[in-house]
Amino acid sequence: MTRAAVEVRSLVVRAGHRWMLDIEHLRVDLGSVVALMGPNGAGKTTLLRACLGLARPARGSCTVLGVDVGGLHGPGLASLRRRIGYVPQLLPVRSELPLTVREVAAIGRTAHAGLFHALTGEDWRVVNGWLERLELTALADRAFSQVSGGEQRKAIIARAMAQDPELLLLDEPTANLDLGWRERIVDTVQSLHTQTRISVLLVCHELEVLPPACRKVILLEGGRVSASGSPETVFTTARVSQLYGAGLRAVHEGGRHAVVPGGSAHD
Amino acid sequence: MIDLVFWAPVMTGGALAGASSGVLGTFIVGMRIPFLGVCVAHAALAGAVFGGLAGLEGQQLLLPALAGAVLTALALGLLNPQRAHLDDNTVLSFLFSATMGLAFLGIGLYAIMGRSDNDVRSLLWGSLNFCRWRDVRLMLAASTALAIYVVLFFKELRAILFSRADAEASGIRATAVWTGFLILTAATLTVNFQTVGGLMIYSLICNPAAAAFQLTRGCGPVLALAAVFGAASGLGGFLIAAGTDLPSGAVIVLVSSALLGVAAMIGHRGRR
Repeated sequence: MTRAAVEVRSLVVRAGHRWMLDIEHLRVDLGSVVALMGPNGAGKTTLLRACLGLARPARGSCTVLGVDVGGLHGPGLASLRRRIGYVPQLLPVRSELPLTVREVAAIGRTAHAGLFHALTGEDWRVVNGWLERLELTALADRAFSQVSGGEQRKAIIARAMAQDPELLLLDEPTANLDLGWRERIVDTVQSLHTQTRISVLLVCHELEVLPPACRKVILLEGGRVSASGSPETVFTTARVSQLYGAGLRAVHEGGRHAVVPGGSAHD
Repeated sequence: MIDLVFWAPVMTGGALAGASSGVLGTFIVGMRIPFLGVCVAHAALAGAVFGGLAGLEGQQLLLPALAGAVLTALALGLLNPQRAHLDDNTVLSFLFSATMGLAFLGIGLYAIMGRSDNDVRSLLWGSLNFCRWRDVRLMLAASTALAIYVVLFFKELRAILFSRADAEASGIRATAVWTGFLILTAATLTVNFQTVGGLMIYSLICNPAAAAFQLTRGCGPVLALAAVFGAASGLGGFLIAAGTDLPSGAVIVLVSSALLGVAAMIGHRGRR
């Protein structure tokens, strides 16, 4: 059996008296691209936070890259986090932020270099390499706060990839982007996976955001897994109608997926 | 013509306070927590007030002031804002009001006990014109410690400046590095505070850093320019005040504000 990048068993995560996640079993195979979908408040971001040890389980286990996150603290947790590239949903965009795009990408090498060590020439080569692959070289010395939302997303992806991660966690990487930028980000995720075979857990709301490499979707509802499988089997027209309302259907073509008007629950 | 030898410690102290506050301001303004300066200053004031009530006086008040500021810095650093579900500025507001309440309660107790509160009141406003080499040596020690810390942990502080939560998520020991930085911030502000006062500290933290943000980019260049602007505000403000016989604290604040205004205009033109 393929090794798991993420494996969750009987996981319960609570916030105060309210439970956020109650997952019997969930698995992301090493080297695969898996999408985590579901309505707002379903627990998608909480699951990513549990993978990073930022949300602690009340019971059960969350094993990431072969390590049980729940048992980790301090240096052990920091060591696991260095192996995970994380692209958060909300970006810190402040006009007072003095960092350039290159400096933001270089944050990905910071934990690798370790305390008391400056970034080496090799670290900067890795950073510049990712800026080039993501077509950000021309913007590298511009202030992060002054480039467009899509370029900021790509800079954060460059930061995550500069970590040389074994697992990439993407939390709504196309949020607030226009159609053109959304497609560029989808292409970026697809080419990252093609080039590096990295394991990707992608949180998104729209079927259109799934890259062709994504062959598994996990649907979360109310903190529980309600369906799991290929995009075609999970997003049948009946489920699309149930989730988003009647009169919509899912189209699956050439490895891409979309929801369009014109279906019925009986299709 | 001013007596440069007599006023040398005042000018050096003003420049040092400005430069170190400018460096601190790069992180404090960059993370949008400008209240940190006044919060730490009031914690130091509360410490000094209760130190005074316990019988300490003069230079001895620095120790309880430092204790108050460092305890507040530790509370800020070790509190995980995400776990507490509180914004940094909400935590700062709580600590600021608590330390200010304690400080003024203590000042009230001086009156009840029939004692003079001149020593602690002078901390609130500072006394730059009475800065002596002994004070400058303390300021130099704190500024040097701060500079060494910023150089040693530059890349970690740069990551925290971007986002403390993201830095933690990428395996950086953000809580430890940030707490260490806050303790040094407390120490630097406390020794600066007795010279330039709690109120002037606020403008020296915010204005030079904000001016540097307008004119350059990149963490290193902004840090350097903020330190230069801070030193220029402290030194330039004093020289103008000495030449015009105006109050030095007020002129230093106005010079730093003017620098920010000019930088904003130049920055705006550059971006057009």
